[in-house]
Amino acid sequence: MPPIITVMQAGDTSKPNPYTIAIIANPALETSSGSGTFVPDPILGDLPGFDAAAQYVFDVLFGRLPAQAEQLLADPLLGPRIRVVKVFDSGLPPTDPNALVSQFAPNIAEPRRDQFKSFLAVYNITADVAYAVTASPTHDRASAWFTTEDTSRGGTPFDVDGVAFTHWRFCAIPGTVALPVTSHSMTALHEFGHAASSFSDGMVIDQYVDNTVGLNNKRGRPIPAAFGTLDAVTFNADPTRDGLGYPPSWQSYHPDLIDPAVPSLMDNYWLAPGGVPEQCRFDRLTRQYFFDRLTVKLSRP
Amino acid sequence: MEPPKPTKQADVLRNAPTATPEEYEEYERLLAKHFTKDPSQARRAAASPDPEEARLKELTKKLFGTS
Repeated sequence: MPPIITVMQAGDTSKPNPYTIAIIANPALETSSGSGTFVPDPILGDLPGFDAAAQYVFDVLFGRLPAQAEQLLADPLLGPRIRVVKVFDSGLPPTDPNALVSQFAPNIAEPRRDQFKSFLAVYNITADVAYAVTASPTHDRASAWFTTEDTSRGGTPFDVDGVAFTHWRFCAIPGTVALPVTSHSMTALHEFGHAASSFSDGMVIDQYVDNTVGLNNKRGRPIPAAFGTLDAVTFNADPTRDGLGYPPSWQSYHPDLIDPAVPSLMDNYWLAPGGVPEQCRFDRLTRQYFFDRLTVKLSRP
Repeated sequence: MEPPKPTKQADVLRNAPTATPEEYEEYERLLAKHFTKDPSQARRAAASPDPEEARLKELTKKLFGTS
């Protein structure tokens, strides 16, 4: 069967390289991280399953799940300008360049980030964020790597707490996600939160553990009233971690929430009250960061 | 990374009776931190082993019987 390349949304067709999200059926799995052993990914035998997963990714990115509260990419200033393409190529052998996912013990699907750019180039696709959908029978927990920036092609400066950063227009390595085909609810958008952020210019990190410092996590006690500033605008801290509470042993604290009744989307959305993770949203600071960052990338020539 | 489901910790500890809740929480913390480390830089620094990565492997083996 020839490769099936489907443009799910055209995006800004006036640009040679609009901001692009790629959703790929992962051709091959590395059996364990760093093993160098590759086997076919069962997703290549399940086109309907891949199509359903791709549609799920599209829907959650653009705020279309039932009861979904987070509408960041539904904003008419952002969403319609984003190109979304899916790739299903069942004719590829299980080789190193075709393996976009490795199996990280015990059950984590890990993107092999260095492979994505050259893999997509074969199909004339340049992605800013790329998902590899996998049907690994054993590794069913999604993960992501942040974007690595291309600092040679310009950007727009911003600052966090007075420290200078840049929203770069282009990436050197796209943000990458390994997404199990069984993923549902907010998982694909949570992983987008990681992948669309940056190793060097704002890491949006997990908030469900006592984590290291990132754009959306600081450490210290007592928790101050102000979390910090983004472009000289002050954002409050979340004093109570929504309804979950900060465990007494934690040093982490987060920016305040738009809806304090539910966890942040980068926190443990599975613990949302009433069992409705779709109510979870990005915190205020993270949401503003993404709006600014995507606006710069969408405005590139 | 996808956060753990609500019953995950209990399930893991049921299957690893010598492990403690604190070890599970440390595992999740080190795992989240692993995905904040740029793999390109980690490869360059491979000559100096990362004690957090070693501890993550140790906890993975204790909690899940695999590393």
